[in-house]
Amino acid sequence: MVPIAVAVISNGLTIGLIYSLAAAGVTILYGSIWMPNASNGQFFALGGIFFWLGIRLLGVGRSAYPALALGTLLLAAGVALLLEAALFRRFYDRADRNYIYFILTLGLAQVMSGFFSVTVGPISDAYAVPQVVPGILMVAGSPVPYARIVVLAFACLAVVSLVVWLRMHRIGLALRALFQDRDGAALRGVDVHKVFRLAYLLGTLICVMAGILYVVAFPMDLTTGWSVAVTTFAIMIVGGPGSVLGSMVIALIFGFLQAVVSLLANPVLAQFAYLIAMLVVLVCRPEGLFTR
Amino acid sequence: MSPGGPIHTLKGRLAQLARSVGAIFVAVVTVGVMLILSWNPYTAFVLSVTLVFAIWASGMNLLAGYTGQLPLMFGGIAGLAAYLLLYLTETCRWPYWLALPMALTGAGMAGVLLGLPSLRLRGFYFTLSSLVVQLALTLFFVVAIPFTGGDIGRTVQVQPRLFGVSLQGRYLTYTALAILLSLTVFLSRLVRSHWGTFFRAIRDDDVLAGALGINVTLYKVVAFAIGSTVAGIGGVLYMYTVGFISPRSYDVLLSLTIWLMVGFGGRATILGPIVGAILLSPLPYLLQSVYLLRDIIYGTLVILTMLFLPEGIVGRLQRRERAESRTIQPDLSVATSMRKA
Repeated sequence: MVPIAVAVISNGLTIGLIYSLAAAGVTILYGSIWMPNASNGQFFALGGIFFWLGIRLLGVGRSAYPALALGTLLLAAGVALLLEAALFRRFYDRADRNYIYFILTLGLAQVMSGFFSVTVGPISDAYAVPQVVPGILMVAGSPVPYARIVVLAFACLAVVSLVVWLRMHRIGLALRALFQDRDGAALRGVDVHKVFRLAYLLGTLICVMAGILYVVAFPMDLTTGWSVAVTTFAIMIVGGPGSVLGSMVIALIFGFLQAVVSLLANPVLAQFAYLIAMLVVLVCRPEGLFTR
Repeated sequence: MSPGGPIHTLKGRLAQLARSVGAIFVAVVTVGVMLILSWNPYTAFVLSVTLVFAIWASGMNLLAGYTGQLPLMFGGIAGLAAYLLLYLTETCRWPYWLALPMALTGAGMAGVLLGLPSLRLRGFYFTLSSLVVQLALTLFFVVAIPFTGGDIGRTVQVQPRLFGVSLQGRYLTYTALAILLSLTVFLSRLVRSHWGTFFRAIRDDDVLAGALGINVTLYKVVAFAIGSTVAGIGGVLYMYTVGFISPRSYDVLLSLTIWLMVGFGGRATILGPIVGAILLSPLPYLLQSVYLLRDIIYGTLVILTMLFLPEGIVGRLQRRERAESRTIQPDLSVATSMRKA
C-alpha cells in the first residue's frame, strides 16, 4: 500500500504542479485580456518539442539543459510577440473579443498542431529526453526518478515565484487590478494595452515553461497539446476564470485525480471525470468555484 | 424586403427580373456541371463530399449565423446519427427506412438535450460548454467499442437502396443534391418567416427578446432541433460517401471546418454557407500532394477570415449591394411579425 501511495503522491504532485503552471497561464490571459486561449496546449507542446529538438539536433548533454530551456523560452517569446502584434492587438478594445479570440486561437492551435505533425511527426512518435539527473531514489520501496524530483522542485519554485510576483511586483499588481476592473485600473494610470501585451507574453511563456518541465519528467507525444488544452480549460472553468490561486488548487486536485485513476483504473475515466466536472460547474456555477 | 429596391418601381421590377433570370441561369449551369462531374467516380466522390459540407454548413448557419449559438458539438451530433444508423441497420438488423428516421430523431433530440445549457449560458460560455460536449462525445465514440468499433473505425457494409437503386457513387451525389436543394428552400422560407425574425432577435439580445414576449426557450430548442437533425443528415451522408466511419471523422476539427465554411461564405445569409463549402471542401482533394498541410491551410483560413472577412464573401457582396441601392431602410420586420404572431 505504501509504495502505491508514494507513486501516486510523486506522480500526482508533479503532474498537478505542471498543470498548475499551464492553468495559471491560461487564467492570466482570460482574466486580464479576456482571451480564452485555445492554443495554450500547443504552446505547451512547443516548449517540449523545441527542447527535445534542441537536444536531438545540437546533441548537447545534460549540463546544457538550463541554457537550452532558456533558448526555447526566448524563441517562444519571439513567436508570442509576433502573434500579439499580428493577430491579437487589434481586438483589445472590442466588446466581443472573447468570442473572436476563441476562434482565432482555435485556428492558431490547428496551424501549430499541423505544423508539428508535418515537421517533427515523421521523426518520432514520442518525444522523451535523457534524464536530467540519472538514477532513481527508493522511497519506502517505491522508485522515484531523480529527474522527477528536479522537475518537482523547479515547478514548485515557478509556482511560488509567480504567486509572489503577482502579489508584490508593480506589474503583477497592475495585472490583478485589470482582473478586477479594467476602467478603474486605467483611471489609476495603468497602461492597459501595455499590460495586455505583457500578460500575453507571460501567460504564453508560463505554458511553454510547463511544457519544458513536462518533457523533462514524462515522454510527450503529438496529442499532448490538445489534451493539455482541454485539461487547462477544465481547470480554469472549475476554478473560476480570473482566479490564479483557484486554478492552481484545482490543478493540483486534477493532477492527483489523474494519478490515482490512471494507477487504479483507466486514464479515460479521468478524462471523463474532468469533462463532467467542467460541465456541471458551467451549468450550475458558470463563474467558477473560486470567484468571489 | 427585397434588397434590389422597392418592388413598385420599374427599376425595381427590372432588377428583380434580372435576378430571377440570373438565378435560373446559375441553376442550369450548376446542374450541367454536376451531371458532367458525377460521371467520373472520383469527381463524383469529391462532389458528394462538397454537397455534404454544404448541407452541414447550412445547418450550422441556422444556429451560428441566425440564432447566435456556435455549437462546437456539431460534428459529434453528426457522428451520433451516423453511428446510431450503423448500429441499428448492421447490428440490430432493422429495416433501413425505419432505422433512418430513428437515427435522425435521435440526433435531433441529442442536439436539443445538449443545447439546453444554452438557455443558461450566454454566447461564449455556451460555445465553451459545447466544446466540452464535443470532447465527451469523441471520447465516447472511442471508448464504446461494441457500438462504434472504437478508434480503428468501422467499414460500412449495408448501403441504402431507394426505388431498387443502391445509393452509391453518383446516385449518392444526386441524393445529396436533392437534399441540399430542399434544405435550402426550407431554410430560406424559415428565416424569412416570423421564426427567422425571432431567431435573429435572440441572437442580437436574448434578454431583450424575452422582454419583448418572445419565447426564447422554445425558439432556441426549435433551432437546435432543426440544426442537429441537419447535422445528422450530413453525418449519415458523409458515412455513406466515405464508406468508413471513425471517431476522428466527427471530432471538433469537423465542427471548426464547418464553421469556417459558414464564416468564409457569409454568416446569416442563405447562400453564404453553400458558397463557402463549394470553395473550401474540395481543397484537400485538389491539393492531394499537400494533404498533410490541410490543418495548416484550414487554420490559416480561419485566422484570415476572422481578421479580414468577418462578414464573409456573400455578406460582403450583399452589404455592398445594399449600400448602392438604398441609403437607410428601417427594419420593421420585427414589429410586423410581432403583430402577426
